[in-house]
Amino acid sequence: MILARRAGGPTGPRPADPRRRTFRALILPPAIALALLLLAPLVLMAALSFRTDLSGTLLAPFAPTLKHYVAFLATPAFGRSLGLSALMAAAVAVISTALAYPLAYFLAFRAGRRAAVYLVLLLVPFWTSYLLRVMAWKLMLGGEGVINSVLLWAGVIHEPIAALLYNRGTVIVTLIYVWIPFAALPILAGLGRVDARLHDAAADLYASPFQQFRRVTLPLSMPGVAAAFLMVFIPTIGEYVTPLLVGGSQGAMYGNVIQDFFTRAANWPYGSALSVVMLALTLVLVFIGLRVVNPRRLLGT
Amino acid sequence: MQPWRSRSAMRGPVGIVVISLIVAACGAGATLAPTIAPTTGASPTAAPPTATPIPPDQVTGSLDVLDWSGYEKPDFWTDFKKTYPKVTPTFEFGISDADIYGKMKAGSQADIFHPYTGWLQFYVDEGLAAEIDTSKLKNWDKVPDSFKKIGQINGKQYFVPWDWGFTSILYRTDKVTTPIDSWSALLDPKYKGHISMWDDGPGAVTVSSYVHGYNETAITDQQLASIKQEWIAQAKLNISYWAAESDLVPLMQSGDAWVAYAWQGAYATLLGQGVPVTYANPKEGRNSWVGVYGIRKDDPNYDLALAFLDQKLGMATGNNLVSEYYYGSANGDVMKGITDPTLKKAFSVDDPAILTKTNFTPNLTAAQRDAWTAMWAEVKASQ
Repeated sequence: MILARRAGGPTGPRPADPRRRTFRALILPPAIALALLLLAPLVLMAALSFRTDLSGTLLAPFAPTLKHYVAFLATPAFGRSLGLSALMAAAVAVISTALAYPLAYFLAFRAGRRAAVYLVLLLVPFWTSYLLRVMAWKLMLGGEGVINSVLLWAGVIHEPIAALLYNRGTVIVTLIYVWIPFAALPILAGLGRVDARLHDAAADLYASPFQQFRRVTLPLSMPGVAAAFLMVFIPTIGEYVTPLLVGGSQGAMYGNVIQDFFTRAANWPYGSALSVVMLALTLVLVFIGLRVVNPRRLLGT
Repeated sequence: MQPWRSRSAMRGPVGIVVISLIVAACGAGATLAPTIAPTTGASPTAAPPTATPIPPDQVTGSLDVLDWSGYEKPDFWTDFKKTYPKVTPTFEFGISDADIYGKMKAGSQADIFHPYTGWLQFYVDEGLAAEIDTSKLKNWDKVPDSFKKIGQINGKQYFVPWDWGFTSILYRTDKVTTPIDSWSALLDPKYKGHISMWDDGPGAVTVSSYVHGYNETAITDQQLASIKQEWIAQAKLNISYWAAESDLVPLMQSGDAWVAYAWQGAYATLLGQGVPVTYANPKEGRNSWVGVYGIRKDDPNYDLALAFLDQKLGMATGNNLVSEYYYGSANGDVMKGITDPTLKKAFSVDDPAILTKTNFTPNLTAAQRDAWTAMWAEVKASQ
């Protein structure tokens, strides 16, 4: 967004510039793809949220109603669930970003020639399906899972610990695990842009290693950190697969409520309205976040 | 009632809207086709002018079936396979009745779909189901009248009944020492952390109705509000809801769940695995459901779809359904032929009073569907 604005410049477009023509030719295919695959469905979803129900022809004109939005407002549990999901997403995003940072730091500055090998190792989990990775946690944490079996065998406990699986904590732990490699990538890219000679300069000025990190490396890598946070936070608000698999009856997130209206209620309009509300909240939160963090300042412009 | 529903059909709500609207858009165009398309699945050029029917083993064509995961198994259309060897049906899957209805509503081009009692009225109200020409079904006279009636909406035959079974409480006899005789076991704090309820709003309303003696077809707002509170509290006792029998079986097998709302397919599978389980005969009565097949309205493939449903009622197919999933067949001869003592036990065939003690699933109205499913979403959101 920032780059595009810069390319446009404060004086507006200059059609005579051949570089601009190339830019436009290059931006057109992804723009069309985005419009068709991202914007059009969102518009359709928003339109669907004003339908009364699924009866009648879906694409025919209909008398719009706000009843699903009214129903949302009249159901405090849904608003609460959305807030809770946003908090969970924030917690997951902060923790997975914090845990991914040392990984990325190691890859960027310490791994040396083996960096490529470690990067591949970091990406290995992506070679298995997301579902399988989450299912693996069930094997770890279940009543007869790895952890309980080892503890029982060692005599530490005499009854399997039921609290390991099927609760909100499990959802958070699983999500953090799933997101760490994702979060490491933008941080790695951010650290890659840090000029290593700055470390030497800081050391010459008698900065301790911690001061070097605190005053030089960390601030310079903040755009990557912010990108990692958002990359985790935004999809996690609407997460529904992980809570479905490891959340049990008490670990549902807002995404599960939406999913219910699509797959268990045949009430797509209500589900769409709930999705629109979530989208709006996410946009507001990201907007506030960007105002607070200010990526322009981070980029040094 | 729907074994081994896979999770593969899960996708984001946005994705569903996109796909369904694309499908809907295609569907809108394709509905024009039936008026000009041949009304047989067979190649029209192969038909001689005298209109002699093509022998079934020469019929070619394709069939698209919207079903529950697990029913694509060739054992469950083995008669069709034998009679129409040149037609191989393709299957697409829904993960719940709501999902299948939503897909049909969004313009799925499936020739055949598989809803269950509770959800039948909607297909007829929305003009999604074609009337069944029962005169063309050779196996129709093997279907008991009580089953035929279940496929009738507004006095017309819209559905071919196929599978049926009980819902009751399934429990581990090694973990639960006093026999369970009431649906209230699913709400009993005694089993805290070891109960597994089906992930379904109408299912929860059904259980509460049995326990409190509510009239399931006339639940008042007040009753619904107290049902909601009941299940919000129940969530603290419930280890995990199950969406498919493939979720429930490992939960029961591992001993994480002791007491569950269950269809007898899960009971059969667990017995087969040697897990000590039994299937309760609650004093409020068991629940019973029937699965039916419908043909999409204005389907150009109507005749072949009808032939498929006729063969679905065949003996070999019915026997496979009974012996592999412990579900009953709508073919009465199949049921009369059961000799296996385990199966007799599963269907309670030796208990002459079982059917009088059974509550059949009534059809939902649109208002009940919307209120009860929203209630269930609220139960989950309140945790």
